[in-house]
Amino acid sequence: MAADYGALLSPTSRGRRFKANLVVALAVVATTFALVPLASVFLFLVTRAAGVLGPDFLLQDPPGDLSAAGGGIRNAITGTLEMTALATFIAAPVGILIAIFDTEVGGRAATGTRFFIDVLVALPSIVVGIFVYSLIVVAQGHFSGFAGSVALAAIMLPVIVVSTEEMLRLIPRPISEGARALGLSRWRTYASVFLPTAVSGIFTGLLLAVSRAIGETAPLLFTALGNNFFSTDMNEPMQGLPLLIYRNALNSAFPAARDRAMGAALVLVLIVLAFNLLGRWLVARRKLSRSTGQ
Amino acid sequence: MNEEVAMTIETPFRQAAVLPTWPAEPAEPVRPPETDNAVVLRLRNVDAFYGAHRVVRDVSLDITGNAITAIIGPSGSGKSTLLRCMDRMHEVVPHARATGLIEYMGTDLYDARIDPAAVRRSIGMVFQQPNPFPTMSIADNVAAPARFNGLVKSKTASADLVEQCLRRAALWEEVKDKLHHSGASLSGGQQQRLCIARALALAPNVLLMDEPCSALDPVATLQIEQLMTDLRASYTIVIVTHNMQQAARVSDRTAFLTMGDDGAGYLVEEGPTGRIFTQPRERLTEDYISGRFG
Repeated sequence: MAADYGALLSPTSRGRRFKANLVVALAVVATTFALVPLASVFLFLVTRAAGVLGPDFLLQDPPGDLSAAGGGIRNAITGTLEMTALATFIAAPVGILIAIFDTEVGGRAATGTRFFIDVLVALPSIVVGIFVYSLIVVAQGHFSGFAGSVALAAIMLPVIVVSTEEMLRLIPRPISEGARALGLSRWRTYASVFLPTAVSGIFTGLLLAVSRAIGETAPLLFTALGNNFFSTDMNEPMQGLPLLIYRNALNSAFPAARDRAMGAALVLVLIVLAFNLLGRWLVARRKLSRSTGQ
Repeated sequence: MNEEVAMTIETPFRQAAVLPTWPAEPAEPVRPPETDNAVVLRLRNVDAFYGAHRVVRDVSLDITGNAITAIIGPSGSGKSTLLRCMDRMHEVVPHARATGLIEYMGTDLYDARIDPAAVRRSIGMVFQQPNPFPTMSIADNVAAPARFNGLVKSKTASADLVEQCLRRAALWEEVKDKLHHSGASLSGGQQQRLCIARALALAPNVLLMDEPCSALDPVATLQIEQLMTDLRASYTIVIVTHNMQQAARVSDRTAFLTMGDDGAGYLVEEGPTGRIFTQPRERLTEDYISGRFG
């Protein structure tokens, strides 16, 4: 026994310490590689957009001619928020119900839906745009914010299904058996036990889907189309931040258009950031209240 | 591992006199007259399977009303599976099924017209791992299942039920000032008593307990045992336990299962607990209770 203590007290060998430090150093380098592009994009946007950003930029609509200076991106902000909100209202219930179907019903039918969800994840977003174009825009005869929402919902749906399924699978077996042993009906078990238990995870998945959809350009190109004027009518073509960035960046030969694109890009990044922070804060607050039971 | 638990539980039982917070000695339980000890659950030739694998073979057993029946036996002897057949929880596991006859007060539980959820409402179950619903308050854990099953309608009725069941589960005094706290904030033993209260809220006749103390410390274990003794006058209790001392302490009748050469558990013998532990008829029983195997 005494000899063992000696081994415990002897200093760690040089080779071991070197190897440990090497691994830590590699991890630091890899993390830096990942963070550098992120930070540089953000810094780039902040420095380029600093000139245009101000209350007017957020509260005014763009000028009719995008080469003209002045004006703001109000119509794009409201358009993006409106279309993303409607897309969430469409995709969230459908996605959660599909996830429940997959976990609860299972079997061959669930394998089928899971396959289609996987296909939907892999589908290029421009294809989603074209599909919704032929489905809704052609049928209605005009572009609309509603069509844009449907396209965004199709982008969000697989993200919501996959994350919700993941969360429902994490529910401990004793909890689900407890609900079964009390003779609760299936829908009651989900509504009152499973979904509340998994809510923070489902919510996180929802935010992920929103963050993904809010920056999508391709699905909106042939659906919402874009609109130079302020409009909250879902039946009319609607402007969105990605569309505005796209159109103005295409004309970046004009300094005004380039600045507008930069400013709108920064606003978009900040909106996504705000959504994520809000979500994290809500989830953390919920967890806290659960663990202390207050 | 469960044998270790069994050993540790022994100690405080012997030292009961020096533990200041010890629950009061149980009053002599009011035993119903012998004629009331009708057969509540009648099992005939019960086999239970997981897929093609038989885990319980040909068990015939009568469970007497207003008594505690202990099911003991080594690991893999099908004790829990047999118990789960009695409230149709066995079939919740994919590919699991049971054959043979299980009658509850004269009704065939496996009749095609019987709703398994209804069976589970009149035959309550308590699990090895305390499983209060984590997102519900203490009060809701008790009241919600009863409310969902339409047993209570008004708020006052539900508050009365909560108090009544928590009192019956010997938990009221400890939680009456924090009924709105999360059920997950309680200690393991309190959680298990909360689960018992939750089961009692559905007014079952039978309480099936699947190793209810194996996740609990010795003090909590003895509180549960005390509680079982108190409940015996009003309920039919079946307890699966790894702990022979526990079976000897609390049960009126004991059934001993062991694993056969085919890997399926079968009933070796059943009888009054005193006789099983002092004059077992079968050699296997004697070997098991004297610690020679299992």
